[in-house]
Amino acid sequence: MSKIETERLSQAYKEKAKRLKTWSGIELEPAYGPRNGGTDYAADLGDPGQPPYTRGIHKNMYRGRLWTRRAVVGHGAPEETNARFKTQIEQGVAGLDVITDTPSMVGLDADHPMAEGEIGICGVSISSLEDMELLMAGVPIEKVSTVLLPGGTQCPVVFAAYVALAQDRGLKPSQLRGTISNNPLHLYFCGPVGKITNPMDLSLKLSVDIIEYCTLNMPQFHSGYSNAYDMRESRIGAAQEIAVGFAEEMAYIDGALARGLDIDDFEPRRSMYFSAHTDIFEEAAKLRAARRMWARLMTEKYGAKKEATRQLRFGVHTGGSSLFPQQPLNNVVRVAYQALAAVMGGAQSLHCCSYDEPVAIPTEGAQQIALRTQQILAHEAGAANVADPLGGSYYVEALTDQLEAAAGEFLDEIDQRGGFLAVAETGWLQAKMDEATLNFQAEVEAGERVLVGVNAYTTEEEDLTPGGVFRVSDQAERLVIERLQRLRATRDEGKLRTAIEALAQKAAAGQSENLIPAIIDALRAKATKAEIGGVIRQAFGYSYDPLGMLENPFEGNG
Amino acid sequence: MADIPIKVLITKLGLDTPDRGAMVVAHALRQAGMEVVLLDTFQTPEAIVDAAAQEDVDVIGVSCLSGEHLRLTPRLMQAIADGGLTDRLVIYGGIFPREDIAVLKEMGVDNVFMGSLSGEFIDYIEQNHAAKRSA
Ligand code: B12
Repeated sequence: MSKIETERLSQAYKEKAKRLKTWSGIELEPAYGPRNGGTDYAADLGDPGQPPYTRGIHKNMYRGRLWTRRAVVGHGAPEETNARFKTQIEQGVAGLDVITDTPSMVGLDADHPMAEGEIGICGVSISSLEDMELLMAGVPIEKVSTVLLPGGTQCPVVFAAYVALAQDRGLKPSQLRGTISNNPLHLYFCGPVGKITNPMDLSLKLSVDIIEYCTLNMPQFHSGYSNAYDMRESRIGAAQEIAVGFAEEMAYIDGALARGLDIDDFEPRRSMYFSAHTDIFEEAAKLRAARRMWARLMTEKYGAKKEATRQLRFGVHTGGSSLFPQQPLNNVVRVAYQALAAVMGGAQSLHCCSYDEPVAIPTEGAQQIALRTQQILAHEAGAANVADPLGGSYYVEALTDQLEAAAGEFLDEIDQRGGFLAVAETGWLQAKMDEATLNFQAEVEAGERVLVGVNAYTTEEEDLTPGGVFRVSDQAERLVIERLQRLRATRDEGKLRTAIEALAQKAAAGQSENLIPAIIDALRAKATKAEIGGVIRQAFGYSYDPLGMLENPFEGNG
Repeated sequence: MADIPIKVLITKLGLDTPDRGAMVVAHALRQAGMEVVLLDTFQTPEAIVDAAAQEDVDVIGVSCLSGEHLRLTPRLMQAIADGGLTDRLVIYGGIFPREDIAVLKEMGVDNVFMGSLSGEFIDYIEQNHAAKRSA
């Protein structure tokens, strides 16, 4: 052995735990014991299925039904994503989970000048009811639980297309199961896309329309979820994640209450989206703390009467920003820990990122490993057999208490500053997030935070991505644009204008008209997603085109 | 000469919105004494070149995460040529398949940084911007 090798070996032997904090920075003691607790079992924990639901919302937890194993999918033309569903079903997903591409996220049709080069790259391209039909061709939507993930103010259009599709198939909307993302407000914290394309008053109005429509017509469908996950991605802490997620949800609740809805009617069909990063104990504790806090919040602040309102249901998305491009296969391991935390924290559904998350949207093979990770957890790791396996751990209970307290403080501060909408407008919360992003980076650069393969244990990177790279087809762009142009050329102009005018009138009525039925009519008259969105935007005083590049084609003599 | 700071444009391209990397990079370059012009999201290649010309930057830095790099880079390089800015260092950072690094370089990108610590691209800019501008 060379001198250097000997030195290395002895260094490695002596290595000890380095960063004596949780992932999000809570200082830790060397060991925890009864002295750290102050928990009253009945009041603060309760058995699984008992308030305050710290230990889970079901008595039997996964013995009743496993969490829904999902895998977000969406690329290219609708028929290409449809083909991927079949692969996913073969791989064993328990529900579908579809995301739209960046033009759709921004509210543009596929033939918008800015959509060039962007179609289908990051999700499926959807511009019309016809696209929705192709996306869901052959999928028995009354039997499958589907999550629809369009962006912001596009949600009502994609949601309406799903409902229209059901009706066209002779189904009742009440037969549909699944979830529409319907969380436009969190986009204020996802880069400038929020402010530019999802004005706040419009976002709130449209999200409440969906909540109201679902509450009245679709008892099995989830009318939306607040997206704590996306906001955590800027690297705020676990406690802050709970607080921002709840703050967002409270904005929708307040909107729905102002519409005259009863919290016990609509809130049981909503949920939260949390992340799970790599610190197993902190993440599981976070999910436990969130449930307890929610039960109290619903009772104390909103006077909820139904147990279902007090039971926090959530999906988990493993933490994408905790996966790194260096030595990408290491991400398989990270995701496994993250998923374990989610399941030990009692998630209702789970999407696991693929190891190629920091490369491109996943290959089929990478996505299969991510799904197998969930299946191994369910059937080999013993994670599904017993509810709340960490309950009673001195450490985890102490963390749960600490996270709940810190989340409560942060939520109070948001409240004092006027609530979620206010801190979005003033930039206060964004500044906190920016600070968190920069702090994390500084810790990595200084080596204070060890990231394996990134700033420690590095190796020469391979030139090729293990398992290959997923490439969106070259034909997708042409296919969807041609289809859209055909639709525009062959539709009945008279019917279209009637539907668009009716929609514009209803939109001008402000809060008093729920726009979903008029959107459904407009889709049937072959209006496109951006046309519908544009007409609604104008009624609220915004430019027809989200990017201000196109004119309203229905104005003037057309 | 050493007193004039290196001027760098940091921008996103097209509809790509994840903006953490652009912010982190802009911060790191400022810490290193460079002058940074950080553009808003939703930039066309042409708008980027206009801004680069107007600000007379030494370096055009593109933070690209949403996978449109292969489709939009030829348009950006064309706009750079049309705008007469071929003497500026063009660097990319963000998320790319490693397989695409050589392709981007073939298209005219000088260097590509992914998930890197800031020292790497700071050194690279310091060592290469002047040579490119006087070439
Ligand atoms: C966080 C995140 C988000 C956050 C962004 C929050 C925000 N405010 O930015 C949220 C949740 C909002 C988000 C949204 C979306 N995301 Co995202 N997201 C990520 C994620 C997990 C991490 C990115 C990140 O912030 N990293 C931390 C920063 C600091 O690192 P970085 O950007 O890599 O920057 C470093 C270096 O690369 C370098 N660098 C970066 N830029 C530059 C520039 C220069 C000049 C230089 C020198 C260096 C440099 O320096 C930095 C410091 O080291 C990545 C996957 C991953 N793990 O990377 C996916 C990812 C980028 N997202 C993806 C997608 C698909 C989306 C969406 C389009 C999804 C959708 N269909 O709606 C949306 C965006 C909508 C839109 N209109 O664009 C894909 C893109 C796919 C592709 N490339 O083919 C990725 C790769 C995940 C995946 N595999 O599916 N996302």
